[in-house]
Amino acid sequence: MKMNKFTDCFCRYEARPGAFVAALVLGAMTIIPSGRADETCSSPYLTRIEGQEEFVYVWTLGVENLGDGSDKLVVVDVKPGSRNYGKVIYSYSVGGRHEAHHGGFTDDRRQLWLAGLESSKIFIFDVHSEPARPTYVKTIDRFEQLTGGVAGPHGAYALPGRVLVPCLSNSRDKGGRSALVEFNNEGDYIATHWLPTKDNQRGVVGAEFADGYCYDARVLPRKNVMLSTSFTGWNNYTRDFDDLVKDAEAMKNFGSSMVLWNFHTRQPKKVFQVPGVPLEVRWAWGDKHNYAFTATALGSKLWLCYEDENGEWQTKEVADIGGKGGVLPADISLSADDRTLFVDCFGDGKCRVFDVTNPRQPRQIYEKTIGKQLNMVSQSWDGKRLYFTSSLLAHWDKGGENNDQFLRAYGWNGKELMPKFQLDFTALKLGRPHHMLFGSTKVGN
Amino acid sequence: MRILKTLKSNPTMRQPSIFAAVTIAFAVASAPLLGADSGRTGRFDFDSPVPGTYALPVLKMAADGEVLDSAGRKLRLEQLTHGRITVLSFIYTRCASAGACPHATGVLNQLHRLSEGDSAMAKEMRLVSMSFDPEHDTPERMAAYSAWAGSRTNAAEWHFLTSRSKGVLQPVLDAYGQVVTAKANPNAAGGPLNHTLRVYLIDRQGRIRNIYSSGTLDVRLVMADVKTLMLEGREPSTNR
Repeated sequence: MKMNKFTDCFCRYEARPGAFVAALVLGAMTIIPSGRADETCSSPYLTRIEGQEEFVYVWTLGVENLGDGSDKLVVVDVKPGSRNYGKVIYSYSVGGRHEAHHGGFTDDRRQLWLAGLESSKIFIFDVHSEPARPTYVKTIDRFEQLTGGVAGPHGAYALPGRVLVPCLSNSRDKGGRSALVEFNNEGDYIATHWLPTKDNQRGVVGAEFADGYCYDARVLPRKNVMLSTSFTGWNNYTRDFDDLVKDAEAMKNFGSSMVLWNFHTRQPKKVFQVPGVPLEVRWAWGDKHNYAFTATALGSKLWLCYEDENGEWQTKEVADIGGKGGVLPADISLSADDRTLFVDCFGDGKCRVFDVTNPRQPRQIYEKTIGKQLNMVSQSWDGKRLYFTSSLLAHWDKGGENNDQFLRAYGWNGKELMPKFQLDFTALKLGRPHHMLFGSTKVGN
Repeated sequence: MRILKTLKSNPTMRQPSIFAAVTIAFAVASAPLLGADSGRTGRFDFDSPVPGTYALPVLKMAADGEVLDSAGRKLRLEQLTHGRITVLSFIYTRCASAGACPHATGVLNQLHRLSEGDSAMAKEMRLVSMSFDPEHDTPERMAAYSAWAGSRTNAAEWHFLTSRSKGVLQPVLDAYGQVVTAKANPNAAGGPLNHTLRVYLIDRQGRIRNIYSSGTLDVRLVMADVKTLMLEGREPSTNR
């Protein structure tokens, strides 16, 4: 496995100063983000935890008349051997319901930023001082004014000394035109980068596909590229799903593009047409693996974005997910060795596992029903543990007895998922669990 | 090499093997890398941007604090973060982790060498290497580096700084967001301190305009950013 090889090399250089000099002289020094542990889809700029994760932080949507009804950060103990293993050990309610969605750490891993899609607020916690009991620090609550009219902060992605916040909407029409926003690690606004549109092409190739939508954004540092995907605006994601799908006009307002950016200059370079709402971006980690996967939620397809033999970036549909009819693939997680892709499908609650050793020909090798609905998946760096949660959006989750709200942990042995523990977030009066992030008392460089 | 002779003759050097390794890296690392200034490397496999074609927004103000120069004189750090375009790197000389301080110092060294042949850059840029290990990185220790850098008479300023104590240093580190913690094992490979690699680009008005870490600290990118700020002239140009 190439990445392990390079990680080993890095360790050897660290152990012997003479070797490090040789590395510098030869220009062969390769810095791999420590690679010791952590979640596989975290930012390459993020300080890594060492060893196995000890906590799972769960950004949870409040539910009216359930517990305190507020969105909250829930901490689950997953430290091996802990008497509290698999239990909720702490929660902090932020007050009110904000459509808790995604979050992320600052690059030094001292703060956890949690975004609210509906209220456009970002809640900042100190996870360094006491990782088992994160301390609320402050809220960025004038997001739309600060950013020049951007709305719907989707998550937080660590960059050196700053945080990138991909967003879903805007304050002018609450539609899908949106932007990438940057803050420094102190939470002060830095810049806004609007997605290109046909009316504001910003010099991109493929401007005819520029629809202005945004969802995820992630960086491949080695190639100085960033890839963003597309979803829909505030008007749609705050609307009841059954009602929304009956509105043909509203259903036209979904993204069908991905944008490749020059990361250093933050300039969009090329727009790709990717029909059916491409969501999460997962760059491969291998040192020569110049590609990323995404899954289209409405198209039920796996897509590959890759650099071709001429150095040009391209996209290609590479696999069906779930056959005819669509299964609403939501989150995906690529293993650290770039061989296995886990695909969570909200529609039928299944996790489908693909062998992506050949990224152009993914092959489904396994599937398992995790619950009646399924959204997020977080995978440990060694590929042995996966954590799943259920909630998609407050207004889009299933109703009645299908409104299964859980965190379920599984072991993966390369062939099948084996249950480890589960938490019923409704019975615990916590709410709808969404994004998960790993925490630990052991944090390295 | 002159720097090695200087160091060997200096009785304050307690860890010759690691220190010498770092020093050798100083002296030799830049030569082959400089040859690749216009080219790609495995780590930075892309073309560098054209200076002046993109914006570098203000991240925050560069913090002030009391520091010691390599002669042991007290200075305010803001004296060295204003008036020129400053590339500031936090380091410690006991660091033997290839991708950390030696890499950062190697990049500053490349910038220093490049400035020898670029009078505008030599005049408008300043390099600062600031230790976060004041107990070991004494002014005398930093002076060895300073003397070596000073041998390039036509190059940009390069200052090597340290602090009186950890207590004086810590507010500066906090303000910059430079995380430093002691490793549980002080004899750990790579050196005794955990730290995030941080290099700061600061404009003439003392505002941080970029922060580089291991994934972005490419001399070509830093050069492009320095020249972008040079092209701005003396008027602020931000999107704040």
